[in-house]
Amino acid sequence: MTLGVMIGIASLTVIVAIGEGTKSKVLNRIANLGFGPESFSVYSGAGRLFFGRNRNTTSMTLQDVDDIRAMPGVAIVVPRQRKRMRIINKKEFTTTRIYGVSPEWQPARQWKVVDGEFFNDMDMDRKRKVVVLGNTPARKLFGEMDPLGKKIRVGQVFFEVIGLLETKGLTESGYDPDDRALIPLTTSMSRLFRQTHLHSIKVVSMHSEVVQQTMEGVTQVLRRNHGLSPLADDDFRFVTPEGIMQWVTESEQALNRMLLLISTVSLLVGGIVIMNILLVSIRERIREIGVRRCFGARRSDITQQFLFESVLVSLLGGAMGAMLGWVLSTALKHFDFLPARITLEPFILAFGFSMMVGLIFGIHPARKAACLSPDETIR
Amino acid sequence: MSISKIIEVDSINKTYKNEGLETNVLKGVSISVEEGDYISIIGPSGSGKSTLMTILGCLNQATSGTYLLDGEEVGKLGDRDLSRIRNEKIGFVFQAFHLLPGVSAFDNVMIPLVYCNKTPADAVERVKRALARVGLEHRMDHTPGQLSGGEQQRVTIARSLINDPKIVLADEPTGNLDSKNGAEIMNAFDHLNAEGRTIIVITHDPVVSEHARRILTLRDGEIVSDKINENFKESRAGLARATIE
Repeated sequence: MTLGVMIGIASLTVIVAIGEGTKSKVLNRIANLGFGPESFSVYSGAGRLFFGRNRNTTSMTLQDVDDIRAMPGVAIVVPRQRKRMRIINKKEFTTTRIYGVSPEWQPARQWKVVDGEFFNDMDMDRKRKVVVLGNTPARKLFGEMDPLGKKIRVGQVFFEVIGLLETKGLTESGYDPDDRALIPLTTSMSRLFRQTHLHSIKVVSMHSEVVQQTMEGVTQVLRRNHGLSPLADDDFRFVTPEGIMQWVTESEQALNRMLLLISTVSLLVGGIVIMNILLVSIRERIREIGVRRCFGARRSDITQQFLFESVLVSLLGGAMGAMLGWVLSTALKHFDFLPARITLEPFILAFGFSMMVGLIFGIHPARKAACLSPDETIR
Repeated sequence: MSISKIIEVDSINKTYKNEGLETNVLKGVSISVEEGDYISIIGPSGSGKSTLMTILGCLNQATSGTYLLDGEEVGKLGDRDLSRIRNEKIGFVFQAFHLLPGVSAFDNVMIPLVYCNKTPADAVERVKRALARVGLEHRMDHTPGQLSGGEQQRVTIARSLINDPKIVLADEPTGNLDSKNGAEIMNAFDHLNAEGRTIIVITHDPVVSEHARRILTLRDGEIVSDKINENFKESRAGLARATIE
């Protein structure tokens, strides 16, 4: 009978642990992605966050970049092109995200180059065919070998590997930030992608407090440059740390809601089972009730006794559930399955909830036991 | 023996309703019992003995009529006061013992003290004394399952006496015992009565009823005879002899 309460409390404990873990992991992840509170990105095409509605929007250009750069309060502006392409080293090949970016990418992302160097303005001006590899394609193409100075082929174009990015590692959602290759924007425009429109622009403002203001300015600039009438929707979208945070939180909330449902149902079922077991036990213990009544127990004494027992049983289930929840949360954390952070709150919550279940579902059987007439119970 | 009346029952009726069918179990029963008396109520099964006992024991209330117990009108009392009276003034002894299973003799005897208005400070001592009185001080840690029938019934007597009640109500106290153990138990009741306690024994065993000073016969919910037991003095003499021996 304690099983229901146990499951309920266990899932409750896990929910809170996951919730807490998610929050801290999300903050961590955003910091990891180089998204300081003072930066944001503006993507080409309407939509929301990473889910663009129109992938064929070609309105974002270098003109937009120049105009944003000229705005007050803007520190760094990085234009970006992006495409998934196959990159080849002799017989080895892999598909990765190729970014055409300006050299400011590195200070904006604050992503270290561990070997070799990042391309510079001269590489940009000369549209040189150089590439900085993330860890994933570097490992896939070269294995244990040193990729620096080697040539890789993308489409019909050969690039020289001049740098390797620091390894970030998989995020818990399965996104691999190391799966990328960076080339100068000018090279990507004229030699590889052969297009002039941009995929996105990353903007780092002087200060986190002016971000909102800067975003409004960017909106005006882009709408004007793209010739949008006042009634038309934006043909671009912002990706901000808050936006990502909100998105991640929302998706994690769906999971939490499910677990909450499970725990509520389990607690309810546990409570009903406790109630029924108590009702059966009243029948079994009718003699005992009778004897106690004969020797002076009042109705309230019997009520108290049964209520005490149901609370005790429920608390026992709660304690076992809290223990199970703790084990599960620790396991989730240990195996990196879901982020979990163990705090004291769920255990206090577990205590309160199991006590409540015991009281709510114990009151009916307890009253029933107390209202039995003593002469009937003794026969 | 004082002559004050401890129980005065005046023409009480008890009617049970079951699925619309009314059954008159007691029809105008009147009894008055003096303090320190020794009464047995006999009658065939279905005569209303047990119902009368539950009413006398304040486990149930009469449908009509008045019942004065030690000056209090029981019919007008609520659960709280009825519980108090059962706790303080009445000691029950049952045919089926009604000891809590799995609970030691000591704890079983303790039950009435748990529900006292104020659990006495010397509760442990009192329980030990009560068990010693029935000769079970060496078995107080035993559960009912580990005791013989006679021993169990002696535990129930200890339990009924723990709060020093004025009345001991016994319902077929020897019904589940062999004749030797039964005689011992009745002997214990004789002693209690000799100390001045009011004893009411409900039975259908003539040997048991012979221990009482007064024998009431119940039939079909009515008292059909109320006579003084001629042999009472003789059994008292026997008791005195037994005590001396």
